[in-house]
Amino acid sequence: MKYSKIIFFFGTFLFLFNTSFSQDAKEIITKADKKFRGNSAKSVMTMTIVRPTWKRTLKFKTWGKGSDYSLALITYPAKEKGQTFLKRKNEMWTWNPKISRLIKMPPSLMSQGWMGSDYTNDDILKESSIVNDYTHKIIGSEKINGVDCWKIQLTPKEDAVVIWGKLIKWISKDEYNQMKSEYYDEDDYLVKTDISSNVKLMGGKKIPTHIEIIPADKPNHKTVVDINLIIFDIPINDNFFTQQNMKRIQ
Amino acid sequence: MSSLKIARRNIWRNKRRTLITAASVFFAVFFAVIMRSMQLGTYAEMIKSVVSAYTGHIQIHKTGYWEDKIINNTFRKNPKLEHEIAEIPGIKNIVPRLESFALASYGEQTKGSLLIGINPEKENLMTKLSDKLTSGKFLVNNDRGVLVSEKLAVFLKITIGDTLVLMGQGYHAATAAGKYPVKGIIHLNSPNLNNKIIYINLPTAQELYSAPDMLSSLSIIIDNSDNLEKIKEEITAKINTKNYEIMTWKEITPELNQAIQSDNVSGQFMLGILYMIVGFGILGTIVMMTAERKKEFGVMIAVGMKKTKLARIIFIETVLLGSVGIFFGFLFSLPVIFYFAKSPIPITGDAGKAYESFGFDPVIAFSTHPHFMISQVLVVLCIVIIAYIYPFNSILKTDPVKSMRN
Repeated sequence: MKYSKIIFFFGTFLFLFNTSFSQDAKEIITKADKKFRGNSAKSVMTMTIVRPTWKRTLKFKTWGKGSDYSLALITYPAKEKGQTFLKRKNEMWTWNPKISRLIKMPPSLMSQGWMGSDYTNDDILKESSIVNDYTHKIIGSEKINGVDCWKIQLTPKEDAVVIWGKLIKWISKDEYNQMKSEYYDEDDYLVKTDISSNVKLMGGKKIPTHIEIIPADKPNHKTVVDINLIIFDIPINDNFFTQQNMKRIQ
Repeated sequence: MSSLKIARRNIWRNKRRTLITAASVFFAVFFAVIMRSMQLGTYAEMIKSVVSAYTGHIQIHKTGYWEDKIINNTFRKNPKLEHEIAEIPGIKNIVPRLESFALASYGEQTKGSLLIGINPEKENLMTKLSDKLTSGKFLVNNDRGVLVSEKLAVFLKITIGDTLVLMGQGYHAATAAGKYPVKGIIHLNSPNLNNKIIYINLPTAQELYSAPDMLSSLSIIIDNSDNLEKIKEEITAKINTKNYEIMTWKEITPELNQAIQSDNVSGQFMLGILYMIVGFGILGTIVMMTAERKKEFGVMIAVGMKKTKLARIIFIETVLLGSVGIFFGFLFSLPVIFYFAKSPIPITGDAGKAYESFGFDPVIAFSTHPHFMISQVLVVLCIVIIAYIYPFNSILKTDPVKSMRN
């Protein structure tokens, strides 16, 4: 009797310990996701596409609200200036002033790189949520670029619409920044890696401002994104993210 | 000397026999030459239509372009290179192009298309593109208009003067988008091309794709397609093959080359059957002649003529008869093939349409290439000499007593 009580107690303890541990993993990811997205944000970024024989730089402004709305405006180079991209829920539109055409991105273009980069249109739409569509587990603790991180494995839930087989994310312990992510396909092959660095105070938050996206199967290909400016939690109305505004915005 | 004289007299002695034998050789040569001329002429015509309509005899690309035809696999225009190639004897035209995929859009309709940036003058010299206009005007240097292929224009519901929107991916991931007025509608024979091709001025295409001075190919037309491999080698020797790939039309359109090769095999098979028929015709007349003259041979041998000498006389006779037949057969076939080489036989109806759909001119053309004519003549001469084996054998075996009794 006494014995079983001990086992029960121990079991409960283990159970509690276990749930609190996995709760932790989910909590970490939730905090990291919230920090990354913010409620709303406005930013100025520079993107450099690096290929074995050439390089190309783009500059753009973005506006975002929650995970449903975002708008991007290309500002450089001159030839591309004025192109806008609108994301509303799970639809994406593009406007090109040169041809005065508003085009809805067909699903077939989703796996294509955005503006020729390694950043796919699907990454931008992010129909899946790293919080709700995955189960999370801390699998270790590592340093990425000198920053102490939790190593968390994300496994998609069975009913989730997710294109990845699994994700491994390194979340910094101090600031809940996503310092590194590895994306694996269903056969457990690494598809691409994001590495963040250069953590700076920007828009009132300490965030990494330099992100490299490296596809695994293409040597010497990468896309580098630098955040030049970001302002968090600005008031933006939902009507800001409309097709009319795509044509007007500067 | 005397053998020749006897042989000649023998020929003149029986004019009807001579005529029959010579006629069988005559028809052999006549038909063999015409048939081969028709086959080779038709292949040459197919090659010519495909080569001059689009591919050129030889194309130069940036290495890797043929494997992956993307806008990034283009090369910078290089006047020095073009100049060096132009110096190679036998080169007629060098035509620069920039081709890439583009979405063509007008109103509610959008369709994938193949946009080809051309130099209108050079392109017209090579492909006679201006003849394919069904309406509108041909491009002139530096205008911003486009020529849209017929079926594509129908699909897009676009006509001359309308503004076509083109979208695509430019050089090094630039965005390619622009609006261009439709200047003309062209009809291309190949249905596959007729519903996707758009022609535009080369500088305009380069601007659209943010690829100034870049080209995807140089198409080369040569004077004489027999020198194809030789000229390819000369070009290969002149340019850096690390940066450029050089391809002949055989590599560019392997399906055409294979179609010609397989058709050529069946053509040669038909020719083989023709040789057999005429061969047996010639053999038949020679066997008849031998049987007819069995007694004569017997007498000759009996009065003391050596069998070998008799065999020699008969050989000279056969060759003389054969030569006469060959000469006239050849002579009579010439006007026929030269006439049809000048004005090929048109193929009408569905067969003609089928030809057109492959991008060929619907005609049966004739070749006047001396090479094949000589080979036909030699083949028939060989047949005649092979047929001679029968009388030769028969003479050697002649028993004068037996043959005189018969």
